[in-house]
Amino acid sequence: MALLVDIFGYLSVILHGFVIVTQSMTLGGLLFLMLLLHPLSPRLPQGDVLEQRVVRLTRWSAWGLLLSELATTALQVSVLMSTVDLSFANVMQASFAVAGSIKILCALAIALGLGRRSMAQPLPRVLLLLVGLLELVAATATTHAYARLDHNALLMAVEGLHQFGAAIWIGAIPCFVLVLRHLQDTDGLTLVGARFSRMSMIGVACILLSGITMWIFYVGDVQGFYGTAYGVMVGAKVAMFIGLLGLGLGNFLVTERLRKGANASVIRLRRFAEVEIGIGFTIFFAAASLTSVPPAVDLTTDRVSLHEIAERNAPAWPRLSSPDHDTLAISQLQTQLDREAARDHQVAQSATTPGSGVIPPRNAEDIAWSEYNHHWAGIFVLLIGFMALLGRAGAGWAKHWPLLFLAMAGFLLIRSDPEVWPLGQEGWWIAWRDVEVAQHRFFVLLIILFGAFEWSVRTGRLKSERAAMVFPLLVAVGGAMLLTHSHQISNVKDQMLIELTHTPLALAGVAAGWARWLELRLPGRGGRIAGYVWPACFMLIGVILLWYREA
Amino acid sequence: MQLNHRVAIAILALAVSINASAHAILTDSTPKPNGSVPAGHLALMLKYNSKIDQARSRLILIAPDKSETPLAITANTGKPNELDSAADLKPGAYTIRWQALALDGHITRGDLPFTVTAAP
Ligand SMILES: [Cu+2]
Repeated sequence: MALLVDIFGYLSVILHGFVIVTQSMTLGGLLFLMLLLHPLSPRLPQGDVLEQRVVRLTRWSAWGLLLSELATTALQVSVLMSTVDLSFANVMQASFAVAGSIKILCALAIALGLGRRSMAQPLPRVLLLLVGLLELVAATATTHAYARLDHNALLMAVEGLHQFGAAIWIGAIPCFVLVLRHLQDTDGLTLVGARFSRMSMIGVACILLSGITMWIFYVGDVQGFYGTAYGVMVGAKVAMFIGLLGLGLGNFLVTERLRKGANASVIRLRRFAEVEIGIGFTIFFAAASLTSVPPAVDLTTDRVSLHEIAERNAPAWPRLSSPDHDTLAISQLQTQLDREAARDHQVAQSATTPGSGVIPPRNAEDIAWSEYNHHWAGIFVLLIGFMALLGRAGAGWAKHWPLLFLAMAGFLLIRSDPEVWPLGQEGWWIAWRDVEVAQHRFFVLLIILFGAFEWSVRTGRLKSERAAMVFPLLVAVGGAMLLTHSHQISNVKDQMLIELTHTPLALAGVAAGWARWLELRLPGRGGRIAGYVWPACFMLIGVILLWYREA
Repeated sequence: MQLNHRVAIAILALAVSINASAHAILTDSTPKPNGSVPAGHLALMLKYNSKIDQARSRLILIAPDKSETPLAITANTGKPNELDSAADLKPGAYTIRWQALALDGHITRGDLPFTVTAAP
């Protein structure tokens, strides 16, 4: 079990992300039903059918919440049972297990209780809302607030408000998109749109109010913001939140025009709302990885100073020649171990044990190796963005740009983990236990998939509309994954400085993915603009990668 | 042969102890990280930035000969963010390998290396 420590840490972040997504969708669905759809449905054509659709979506979200919470709790319980040698009964009394059980029961109650009959009467509706509230209270017991030394009550209230705001706004958007898809009538659209705007504003207000309070108690000051992993992650959340506000404002303007009886693009409303779901869920995964780092106020040593950031990011020429593989720290340690073993006539030990939680040694050559990889990747991505722009402007040959992704995938597969096959002595399969290796391979797979799909789409080999969606979705997911990407480097400051460059990369990736999505799905001027935005994001990614330094 | 290898392992172990990139972090301790204390009966204290579930956390003492002994944690509701224990130690290089369960359910682990010197 101890061997799987880092896999466990990463897996728990991902599972936690799913818990936040499904919880927000469940609570958001309940609130959307009780505050919007049910009161309005008598005035909507086919209101009853719409209500049933949203009920079904919310029920599925509740099942999702049940499963992801069950998985999270089971993982934590089993890790605790095996590492601290405690009985199942004992671990189940720990506060996180109690809170987890309550969340699971609440999800079950919503999944089973929500239906046509319970929606028809006031008492069951109120009861369902109360179950949702109970779930929210249990959820706050698994946030930082519960374990803080001071101000527990205030911070718990604030965390509750934050999750409520996320639910009523982002969590309810899937319901909104569902309704928009099936509602053709303009009066109905105006009614739903106007009320949803008002609900989102309440949500935004809750998020702002709680966000500012949490900033004061968890981030503290400006240096806590730029100098710690927690602060940088908060920064990423804020950036995406601003993006969401922009999209929300766009939608607000559309509904206002509709309300005044003017002509407005309902399709834009729908497409923007789709993108809001994507960015919103990315924020949820960023929030999940926030729970795995200590709040900035607590990290008083090992902070990065502005000077260090400036020094690290001072312009430097990209590194286009690689150091020799034999000069890397692990190679050298292995050579030494081999020599000792040969002398003593023993079988040589392996210099690294993947997944043991022990951080591999690094020397200057390792840093050069990694920088070389990032810089070449930057050249690839810059070229891809540039060719895509040319293609957009009309150059026919440039449509083959996705093939560059395949070349890049091959390059990364061989080079990103030098201690692993084919360059290193570590076997292909055993290395999966190392999170960083697993993540890199996952990225390579992503790159191959999106290169292959996009090339087939561009050259007309794949004609389905869905196939075209694969590329933007994978780019957006890749960006989101990068927010949870971890580099195993022993020095907290170095890790932070690397994170500082990875976060803009992730944000640009998320923006590129959703801009491409808009280009495909939004007809007219909006889509055309988006068609220039995403290659620009790619080129920006390329430049950041070329700028990347580890020392 | 083992000397070089041991040095390597010691460096690696140290590297892990610095990597405090998870939720509960050590804010103070007796002994201090990489500090030294005189031999004899030692009170051990690890203080964190958040409230800890003392009954479900663990301290393991790694002796100079690499043998591992679990330490009994003293329940102390007055100090919700501490793990307290005690041990009789002879001179040598020790490590306390800790695993803390914060009340919010986050599990963190780390190493606290220190040296015990001969009693004055
Ligand atoms: Cu990287």
